[in-house]
Formats: sequence, structure tokens, C-alpha cells
Amino acid sequence: MMSRMHSPEETKAAMHEVVAEMYDRIVKGEPPTMTLPVRTKTNIGFDQKLGVYKYGKKKSVRDATSLGSAKQLLRALHVVEFIEEMLDAGKSSTLREMYYISEAWGLGKFGSQNESNNLAEDLEIVTKCLREDFKLRPEEDGARMIGNLTLRERNRRGEWMRINARDDVGDSGYGVPYNVELEKIELLEHDIDFIMAIETGGMFDRLIENGFDEDFRCGLLHLKGQPARSTRRIMKRMSEEWDLPVVVFLDGDPWSFRIFASIAYGAIKTAHISEYLATPSATYLGITADDIVAYDLPSDDLSKKDIEALNAELSDPRFADGWWQEQINMMLELGKKAEQQSLAKYGLDFVTETYLPEKLNELGLA
Amino acid sequence: MAGIAQKLASNQKQVAISEFFEKNKHFLGFDSLARSLITAVKEAVDNALDACEEARILPTIRIQISKIDVKKDIIRLVVEDNGPGIPQKSIEKVFGQLLFGSRFHAIRQSRGQQGIGITGVVMYCQLTTGRTTHVRSKIATEPTAAVVDIGLDTRKNKATKANAGREIWYQEDGSSKEHGTEITAEMKAKYQKGRQSVWQYLRMTSIVNPHAEITFIDPEGVKHHWNRVTERLPTKVESIKPHPHGIELGQLQRMVSESKDLNLNHFLLNNFSGVTNRARKELCKAAELEGTRKMKTIKGDDIRHLLEAFQGERLCDGSPAKLLKPPTNCLSPIEEMLIKKGLSKTIDSRFVTTLTRVPSVTQGNPFQVEVGLIFGGSMASDKPVEVLRFANRVPLMYQQGGCLLTKAIESVDWRQYGLEQAGGKGVPKGPAAILVHLASTNVQFTSEAKEALADNGEVMEEARKAMLEMGRGLRKHLEKKKKMAKTKEKFELINDILPAIAEKSAHILDRPVPELAGSITKIMSAVICESTTVWNKETKQTDVEITLFNYTSRVRAYTILATWPEKAGAKIIGNDTGGRKEALGVWAWKLDALQPGEQVKINYSLTGLERGDWTETEILFRGSQDVIGATKMDEKFLEEIRRQEKLQSEEVVVEDSSATGEVAQEAIPEPVVAAPEGQRTLFGGDA
Repeated sequence: MMSRMHSPEETKAAMHEVVAEMYDRIVKGEPPTMTLPVRTKTNIGFDQKLGVYKYGKKKSVRDATSLGSAKQLLRALHVVEFIEEMLDAGKSSTLREMYYISEAWGLGKFGSQNESNNLAEDLEIVTKCLREDFKLRPEEDGARMIGNLTLRERNRRGEWMRINARDDVGDSGYGVPYNVELEKIELLEHDIDFIMAIETGGMFDRLIENGFDEDFRCGLLHLKGQPARSTRRIMKRMSEEWDLPVVVFLDGDPWSFRIFASIAYGAIKTAHISEYLATPSATYLGITADDIVAYDLPSDDLSKKDIEALNAELSDPRFADGWWQEQINMMLELGKKAEQQSLAKYGLDFVTETYLPEKLNELGLA
Repeated sequence: MAGIAQKLASNQKQVAISEFFEKNKHFLGFDSLARSLITAVKEAVDNALDACEEARILPTIRIQISKIDVKKDIIRLVVEDNGPGIPQKSIEKVFGQLLFGSRFHAIRQSRGQQGIGITGVVMYCQLTTGRTTHVRSKIATEPTAAVVDIGLDTRKNKATKANAGREIWYQEDGSSKEHGTEITAEMKAKYQKGRQSVWQYLRMTSIVNPHAEITFIDPEGVKHHWNRVTERLPTKVESIKPHPHGIELGQLQRMVSESKDLNLNHFLLNNFSGVTNRARKELCKAAELEGTRKMKTIKGDDIRHLLEAFQGERLCDGSPAKLLKPPTNCLSPIEEMLIKKGLSKTIDSRFVTTLTRVPSVTQGNPFQVEVGLIFGGSMASDKPVEVLRFANRVPLMYQQGGCLLTKAIESVDWRQYGLEQAGGKGVPKGPAAILVHLASTNVQFTSEAKEALADNGEVMEEARKAMLEMGRGLRKHLEKKKKMAKTKEKFELINDILPAIAEKSAHILDRPVPELAGSITKIMSAVICESTTVWNKETKQTDVEITLFNYTSRVRAYTILATWPEKAGAKIIGNDTGGRKEALGVWAWKLDALQPGEQVKINYSLTGLERGDWTETEILFRGSQDVIGATKMDEKFLEEIRRQEKLQSEEVVVEDSSATGEVAQEAIPEPVVAAPEGQRTLFGGDA
């Protein structure tokens, strides 16, 4: 596993290297630059040792010869300065707060929050620090969890609380905080056989109502669409620390395939920390392209965007294996996609009594 | 006009004038209730503009339309001008007689080639409402204004007058009016908005009459105002005699029968333009007529032969008689700069280009094409461009599709100039308006409605050429705009962002702020030219500043050239950098070598211009390395300017020769004569 967080001094030193690259170039009479890995699917490769996809060797140089790039460099400097101030003051801020604070940065202010998020990621990548090191928090929602597992969370008062995610929580389950590192969360014990990650809230609630977690001895995790970093991180910790299998139950469409890839292989945007976020042992349970046929599920036609996404996936190294190529091609051939909840065609209990047992059986989990 | 009058005169016994009016209202401009109102405004405004022009008065015109009876569509129109006024005894002639002021033998560019004049309005009011038209007119030398109600005796084709009297003409502010004319007419008509409306007609009129101040109060009481943007009146046009190439049989017959000349020789020399003594001899020989023949004896076939000689169908020693071009001082173009002003005051935009071609001749008639293009601003970018057509300063509002001027626009592939155009054909799309003005002594229309110009090869060619040249101007502007935006970004980069990066990085690392010169040169790696052209309120001059930056690592040397409106009479002053005139309206400065990182400024001012006359200076350069913000000198551009210069001076030669009646001017090229296409006079041939 990747080394944990850096000390404020280490973080500052790493950031200063980025600043020094710009400074030294100006001294040499050249336009200032910032060098960072190319962040597209053309520059991710499978890391045999870590079992996840990481950025490759392709670098891109952002130099100040165009107004846009020059502004990016200036923003990066403002962000560095801002982080240093927070480190010195022992404060933290959300990415959104930083976006608003940038209003005061004049020429270096962000045009959109997306820009500030991307720049924070850029800095993570170049400095090899985590945004936690930078004292920057996401606003993205953590996941909800239900099942017979017990953990310890340090609350705001600094006290450790013991929580069982079945007995100590209401119907909405245990809310995963944004920081799930050891300083905040310890995994204590469990009595489950596997973890099931679920895309939609509707399906998560259906399984809880049907008592699926108890009947099948599993922990249920609601992903809320593209899962937040902390969601992926806690999945990885549970999978590794408790040696539990992870199965992923999503809609049957190109976007779900991408969600799975980010869980199991690492997301392109966060490939610099894939080994820290990805769960290589995770299995895609459904909805698969053949489920649509096999279960005769109500389906929608693929949109133009869906088709483009599927075609892009065909050349994505994370989907290079035979099973995925087959699934993607089959979906393209069918021209159809289906939602998890389309299983309700056969009644509310069909998913828990027929579909999931059959699928889990194939995996030897039921 | 002559045609109608004749027709009326010859038929007046058999045909009641109301019947004539009813039968022909479609081409008199009274075929619909909406159009009738426009026509009435048009006739009144045209009269006002013409009267002011003749009296050399800057026109101020007020038009008010109010609804008298909504159910019956009765509208009251008031048009007031500050013209010279009409003497009391002439009022009924002007308003009540269809033919007033014969222009048979005088040819010149005049507005009054369309419609039947203000009398038509008086007649229309009488026929639709039974009411007379109230006229008030004051001339400067009389203390009071004459007032009278004019009607028309439709059986006798004579004006009727009632309630004639005199009164003091008080204006709104209580003062008494010095001179002017006001008519109040009530008619059955409909007020409409949009592309074919009184508003649009006045808007277009104001574009091509930048010297006029026009106020329009619509039926809702809303006041629309078009400012006067120049104090310059249109040039006074000279009348010219008809040119043999432009004569029709009927007209020649009439001229012959009315001639008081001694003989054919005198007839030819006295009544036509372009006929030199030598040409006179050649025409007689070609027509096989003795020059000493008395005019009374020239009849029938003689006239036909003479016409054939005129048209080059009968030859003299194997070739047509050599005629001079008609003079072109009978034309009054609006001129580039005034069109520019007219357009900019009416339409909000970013870019205006205008062009007045050198006069040309078709079928013995001098003509001149002017175009204008206005781009950007608040105009819709997804709609066809607005086409503004004019003939002799009169807006053409109907039959756009069938008009030669529209066809000229459609014949250009506008895509290459930055406008959208499906398949490179048709009226282009984009945030633009295109103006085309034909000034001519004989405007040819497709039909009696006089709303669309008839096809004519030479006019088409001139209009097309003008469009192409204007299109190139637009493309240049758009390219320049793009480059300027890029340059502006680069300046922001080196002036604002780079120093901030240097400072901030130095601060974070706790090191001294580094020198920027090297980085700047690497980032820009170009020679950059910036120019501003600004109106100076205090000095009433246009100040121009050109700055050249060398942001490269090598020494650079250039000649910088700038355009200025020399044709419009502007003079360069305060030009301390010196230089020399390169061509008409192009000044050149050969600059000393510019060191890396160095900049040089050229400053000068232009006098003899009004505000808004000159807002963009084109900067060109000669030199090996590209200059951002300037155009590489295309030597063809200079050639074109010099060619135009030469053409203009040739024009002068032609004018001189015809004025002095010199004979030996055969070196002047013959005007090319094209067969008339689709031209129709009001009643067809009136032989």
C-alpha cells in the first residue's frame, strides 16, 4: 500500500519543487513551465506490481506561451501559497471554499470550480502528495453502508466511537466520512462473506427492505453514482484488511462500466493514486449485456453519446481483456441498455430471490 | 413621368382620371392600403429633399402619422419641411397638375423618376376619402405663409382650390417659421411595421441622406429620430443632354418635331452630349442624311436611319460613328464616407466598409455604383443579411428578389469573406447589412412598379466588382480582429501574468524577483504592431498612433505604411517621423533598425475630417519578418490605387473635352454598349 500522508514540511518541499521549476526557467530567460503527466487514457498502463492502472511516462509541459497556460501557472502559485498558509495555521478548507477564496486572487482567480479541482489534482500528481496533505477537502458525498461490520471512528471531539453498521444505524445506514484514513477510522470486526457495492439508492434501499444483507451475509455499500475517493478508499481497506471479496452491482450501460473500472482498476483522473484507491479484486456482477437478453429486461435504446462512450471504451486499456470486449461489443450490437431497477418487471422480490442468487452462485458466493 | 403625362393628356377626354388611377394604381404605388401610405410619405419626402437640395438648404423633415378612423382605415399624414417654400401661385401647379416642370431634354440624376409625384397623393386622398389636401407654404421673402386646400377635378384633370388664404406660421416653440412647406393629407391607408413600412422607408432614406434630419412620429405617438451627421449637401448635379446611345425612337421623333434648330448639323451638335463635330459628320454619313437638311424635312424613315446611326447599326466607312462618353458630372454619388456615416448612425455595428466605384456608362447613360457593408454589433447572426437597395437615393422596398442589385449580392461567394451562405449562392447570412446604391441618369426597372432594377450587364459587373472589393475588406477586418485578440492576449500575458508569476514564485521561494526580458522575447517571439485611431474632441482632429515592438532576439528593420482618407480631403499633420507619400491615401515611413526588446512610435493627426469619418487605420509593412497587427504590403494593392487614380484623372479629361466641344479626342475609349435587357418604360414604347 502507498505510504500514508506527508508531513507539512515534506508537503511544502514538494510544492517548492514545482515553484522552482517556474522560477528557474525565468532566470534562464525562458518561459516558465510546469511539467505533469498526460492525464488521458492514452497514458495509463497496467502496473504489474500494484495490480492497478497508473499514469505512464508521457509528460506534458504547460508553458506560459499562451495566456491560458500562463494563467494556470499563476493559479498554481496562488494555490501553493494558500496551502502553505493553511499548513502554517493548522486549518483546512474545502475545494469549493478555495474556489471562492480565489476570487481575491485577481489575475489568478479560477474561472470555474472544475478548474480549481483539476489544479488541486495536478498538484497532487506533480508533488506526489495527497489532497489531504494539502488540507483540501472534497464536498463529494461519502457512501452509505449497511451490514454486520464494526468499525471505530474518531468524532469531532476526538473521541473514538464504536459503530456497528447494522445495529447502531438507522435505515440510511452508516455514512462514510471524507477521511477514512487510520487516524480517523479503524476497521474492527465483521461477520459477513462479501461486500456488495450498489450504484443506485433505489436498489440499495430495495435490498435493505428485503433483508438481503442478513440473508446473504454481506455488507451493502451505496456508491451514489461515480464513487467518491473515500468510498473507493474504504472499499479497498475492507477488501484488503478483512480479505473480503467485493462484487459490484450497477446499471447495464457504458457509464456503469466506467464506474466499475474506476473501482477495480483505477480512475484516469486519479491514476496517480490508483494503488491507494482501487480494489483490483472487485468483480462486476451485473447488469451485463447478456443479462439484458437472458432476463429479457425492459431496456432503452443506446443514445449517440452512449455509443460514443462504448466505442471509446473499446480502446481503453482498462477494458482490454476479452470479457469486457465481448460485453461492450454485445451492448453495441443489441443497441440497448438497462437499469438495475428494470428487474422489478418480475416483481419486487425478483432481484433478491432470483437474479442476485443466480449471479452470486456463478461467482461461488451463494 | 413624361410617359404618364402624355398618356393622361391624350386620353383625358375618353378616360376619367379616377378610372385611369384605378387601373394603374399597382404601378403608381397605391395598390394596397399599406403601400399607399408608404408611397404618400415617399412622394412628400422626396419633394422636400429635392427642394432643399436645389435651394442648398440642409433639410429638416418632420413626418407625423395618426389614425383618424381605425374602423375605416382613415389615416392623416403630415409632412413638414424647411425647404424654400412654394410661391402661392405655384402651389396648385405643384400639387394639382400631373405634369409640372418638363425635363424632356434635360437628363440628370433625380429622385423624381419614380411614381407620379405628389399629385398622385392628392388624387388618392380625394378618391378614397373625398377630402382635399391642406397645404401650407412659406417663402423667406414673404411675412406670412400661404394656405390652401387642394383637390382634383377628376374630369378636367385640373386642381381645385378652396379656403385659400394667408396666415402666420407659428412653430411649436412659438416662433414663426421662416420658410418651408407642410402638407396634411387624409387617406384610406394602413400603418404597418416591419421591413416594408414607413419607418423602414425613412430609415433607409436617412442612410442615403446623411445631411437630412428626419423626425417621425408614429400613430402610437412614438418619436423616431434620425440625426443629421454631415453638413455637406449632395453635390449639385448638372443637367446633361441625352447621349445618342441612350435615345429611343419616340424620344428622337419628339426631339426632331420640336426642334427649332437650323438644320440637322445644328440639331446634332446642340441637343446631344458626346457628339463632336467629327461625330456629327460620321452620324450624318452613316444615316445617309445631308447635314444641311432642314429639320422640318426630316421625317419617318429619316429618323429611323438617324437612330440606327446613333446605335451603330448603320456604319460610316465600315465602323460606327465615334462618340464621346457622356460626362458624369450629372451624377451625385453619396460618397464612401457619407454612406459610412449614414450606416453607422442607423445601425449599431462594429465594422463598416463602403465603396464608390468610378462612374461608368451604359447605353449612353452615365451611372455609378456604390456599396456599403456593415457588420457585427447587435444584428442577428442567424438571419439573412439586410439588403438595402437604392436608386438615385430613393429606397427600393419591394421585389427584392427580382432586382439586379440583389442578384449582384447573390452572385458573390460570401463564404470566402466570412459570411455564411448556403452553397455559396443567394443572400448570405450573418450579422450584417449590405447597401447598394445605383446613381444613374436613367434607372431601368423591371416593371412599372419601379421597385426592382432591370438586368444590365455593365451595372451588374460594376456592382459585383464593388461587392468583391468590399468582401475583401470584411475578410481583412475579421482576420485583423482575430489577430488583434491574440495580440491582446499576448500583451496581457507579458504585461500582467508573467510579472505576477515571477513575483509570486520569488516570494514563495524567498528569492529575488528575476529579470523578465528573456522570457518575454521567447514568449512573444514576434514583431508586433499596435495602432489606435481616435477622434480628439479638443483639437477636432483624428489622432493616430502606431507602435511597433520588436519582441524577437534579432535586429529588425521595416517600412511601415498607413492608409488615410486623402480622397475625402484629409491632411496629415504633426507627423514628426517624416516619411513620404507612397500613393493616393497611403503614407510610408522607413524606420531605423529596431533592436531586440525595443519599440518605436509613429504619431500624427488628420485634419479636414469630421467625427466618425475615420475610425480605423490600415497598417501595412514591408520587411522580411512578419508583423502581428499589420498586413504585409501587397504591391498589387498599390497598383490598384494607382490605377483608380489614373481612371479618375481620365474622367476629368472626358469632361473637359465635352465642355469645350473639342473634336480630336478619339483616344478616349468607346463606351461599351449592351443591348437593353428587360427594360420597359412606363407604357412600353410610346412611339
